[in-house]
Amino acid sequence: MTIDQGALTETAEELYESAPCGYLSTLPDGTIIRANQTFLTWIGMERQDLVGHRGFQDLLGIGGRIFYDTHFAPLLRMQGFVNEIAFDLTCADGRKLPVLANTVQKLDAAGRPMVHRITLFNATDRRKYERELLLARQKAEQATEELRRLNETLEERVAQEVAERMKAEEALRQAQKMEAVGQLTGGIAHDFNNLLTIIVGNIELLQRRLPDGHERLQRAADHAMEATRRAATLTQRLLAFSRRQPLDPKPVDANKLVAGMSELLRRTLGETVVLETVLAGGLWRTQADPNQLENAIVNLAVNARDAMPNGGKLTIETANTRLDEAYVEALAEPVPPGQYVQVSVSDTGTGMDKATMEKVFEPFFTTKAAGKGTGLGLSQIYGFVRQSNGHVRIYSELGEGTTIKIYLPRLIGSDQEPAEALAKRPAMVKGAGETILVVEDERDLRTYAVEALRDLGYRVLEAADGREALAAVEQHPEIALLFTDVVLAGGMNGRALADEVTRRKPGLPVLYTTGYTANAIVHHGRLDVGTHLIGKPFTYAELAAKVRRMLDGA
Amino acid sequence: MSAVLQRNNVKVVGKGQQPMLFAHGYGCDQNMWRFITPAFEDRYKIILFDHVGHGQSDATAFDPARYGSLHGYAEDVLAICRELELKDVIFVGHSVSAMIGVLAAIQEPDRFDRLVLIGPSPRYVNDGDYIGGFKQEDIEGLLDVLDSNHLGWSSTMAPVIMGNPDRPELGEELSNSFCLTNPEIAKHFARVTFLSDNRADLPKVKTKALILQCSQDVIAPETVGRYMHQNLRGSQLVLMNATGHCPNLSAPEETIAIMEAFLGEPAPIKAAAE
Ligand SMILES: Nc1ncnc2c1ncn2[C@@H]1O[C@H](COP(=O)(O)OP(=O)(O)OP(=O)(O)O)[C@@H](O)[C@H]1O
Ligand SMILES: [Mg+2]
Repeated sequence: MTIDQGALTETAEELYESAPCGYLSTLPDGTIIRANQTFLTWIGMERQDLVGHRGFQDLLGIGGRIFYDTHFAPLLRMQGFVNEIAFDLTCADGRKLPVLANTVQKLDAAGRPMVHRITLFNATDRRKYERELLLARQKAEQATEELRRLNETLEERVAQEVAERMKAEEALRQAQKMEAVGQLTGGIAHDFNNLLTIIVGNIELLQRRLPDGHERLQRAADHAMEATRRAATLTQRLLAFSRRQPLDPKPVDANKLVAGMSELLRRTLGETVVLETVLAGGLWRTQADPNQLENAIVNLAVNARDAMPNGGKLTIETANTRLDEAYVEALAEPVPPGQYVQVSVSDTGTGMDKATMEKVFEPFFTTKAAGKGTGLGLSQIYGFVRQSNGHVRIYSELGEGTTIKIYLPRLIGSDQEPAEALAKRPAMVKGAGETILVVEDERDLRTYAVEALRDLGYRVLEAADGREALAAVEQHPEIALLFTDVVLAGGMNGRALADEVTRRKPGLPVLYTTGYTANAIVHHGRLDVGTHLIGKPFTYAELAAKVRRMLDGA
Repeated sequence: MSAVLQRNNVKVVGKGQQPMLFAHGYGCDQNMWRFITPAFEDRYKIILFDHVGHGQSDATAFDPARYGSLHGYAEDVLAICRELELKDVIFVGHSVSAMIGVLAAIQEPDRFDRLVLIGPSPRYVNDGDYIGGFKQEDIEGLLDVLDSNHLGWSSTMAPVIMGNPDRPELGEELSNSFCLTNPEIAKHFARVTFLSDNRADLPKVKTKALILQCSQDVIAPETVGRYMHQNLRGSQLVLMNATGHCPNLSAPEETIAIMEAFLGEPAPIKAAAE
């Protein structure tokens, strides 16, 4: 068998017609002048309907047509070729055929475009895949966008929270600063008090022992005493600020208390300030040291007066209020939510700016001229109120005025009449030879107390610590009163000593003395019910009255 | 080089005094003038530039708000004129840039001597009696094709498609090296172009204008050329033998001859122009 070599080799014609891609030749204006069979089959047209009659661009949809004119044709002209352009061809039956076109521009001898050779690939699969890619990318972009937005608001939320935290921390720092200053001043004031007690005692001794006729010396002693009292007031206020003043809380009707002060307040305020009191009906009672509450109100009134040099109006109000969770949570200091009795003092004075307002509770902060203010008024109030489990709040507008609100916890339960209602009986001041055991580890203080009591007409036994004291109790059953310092050297404090002594001699009255209260005798700054205390520095007269009352069983 | 000149990739060539400023149309860059400018280089100062987002312009200067209408592009044209202190400008604008030139000439009429408008259209979308040649939805078709082609463009470059669009050096390796446009900017410009309507601006033009109208231009059909002519006072309309939308590329000799004829005429006396 012979094989016709020519028949075996595919002709260029065959290759052209049946290639797996479409071939087109067009004039520069797009007119199709040649097309292969593959292309005709794809598009479903007869050669004679296409060649010479249609432009390549006529096979495109409108979008493709614009793209052809604005991108494809200019690019081809400038570059000489264009690769991988995506078109959708419109087939005879209306179907769309996605293709990719590679095109080369052939020039004539003069360099002018002569013909375009277009190679077309059926890109159905690839374009579908690309669509999917595009969709996936759009989705990814959407997700990214969402994430970004989330992140943005997250940042915002974090920023907000950080700001709140910083505010809280700032408040906390302020509170801690107050606490630290409190401890420092408290410590100093305590030592000072001890010294003052000795000074007072010795001046009193001088005053009593000076023979008649030494008037100049008498006056000198009086001046010394006066200055010492002022010093004592100062340390008292410092102790109050550091929450170490001995408080004597009792059920208090703030309405009655305010009403009882009106005469005093009117005198304090002077003629130019109008005083108004607005007292709430059905006001709850509170538990607080009434003397200190009075003191606080007077301090506030004085501040208000100073803020109204040209006169104005001072309003004292009482009210029942509730501090809710949200309110107390925002405070730096721990204040339990619940019911409170509110006493507020408002003025129509100068008001304070923010910087001043932040500092007013600090001890010795004052804007007043030297000698006019010590800067302890509000510090003292702050300490007192905090020690009474209450809360103070300042509202102030520059040029408008100031309101200071004191919140004291409502007293629940006990319906007893306030103890303060019991009138103070005139004390039988002098002693009648009763035996008093004085326990005090500091020698000078002990001497002072012992001398004072002897002077008053008592028999006095003395001890420097618990052990000596207990020995004395053993030997002297006639002891009628134990007078002890709260803090004692030698391992046993005043409270423990008293417990031991009263175990042996039930009913024996015990009088404590202390500079401050942060110790065993006082629960959270309060006296235990039934304990008696005389704060240092105490005067001869105070001691006399207190001892007499206790021995008389008041 | 100043910021403006850098931003718009401005090129200045030619030996003449009077400036001839060429503005490329939609889909291209300044390369599209390569067959035209040599004919004028001896007698004019030729200024070429790329619109922001096109060609070798600074794509980072693209601000969708600024370029949200053709006015933003007109601003750029004026900025280039100011920067180069151009006076008596012959503005040659193709396609959408014809309208950009119209807007610039309205804003600073004294700066322009003549307007050469190639394939202009004040509005592409039909509107009542006005036949722009397109329906609103045709624009969607174009955006679709743009999407496909940017895919084709980038499918050879997987990193680009999968989120590396800001590596311009990849673009240089692409097979089509002219008229590269960032895909997003291309779509944005397509929308701004094909949805623009500047018919109301035409009566405000005081500069003498030449309109070159191709035959069988799908993008700017003859009816649109005639509309332009009617509404541009004192304009001259020339119907070309060239077909398609880019006679400057497909028929440069004819284009040059028509321009020469127009520019050879004495300059109009502005005050008397009507
Ligand atoms: N009602 C008020 N109006 C305006 N400013 C006030 C008022 N109350 C207090 N202040 C400001 O707060 C500061 C501190 O007050 P605080 O009562 O603690 O001390 P003081 O009044 O200056 O001195 P002290 O009360 O110890 O005599 C005052 O100096 C004043 O600047
Ligand atoms: Mg004060």
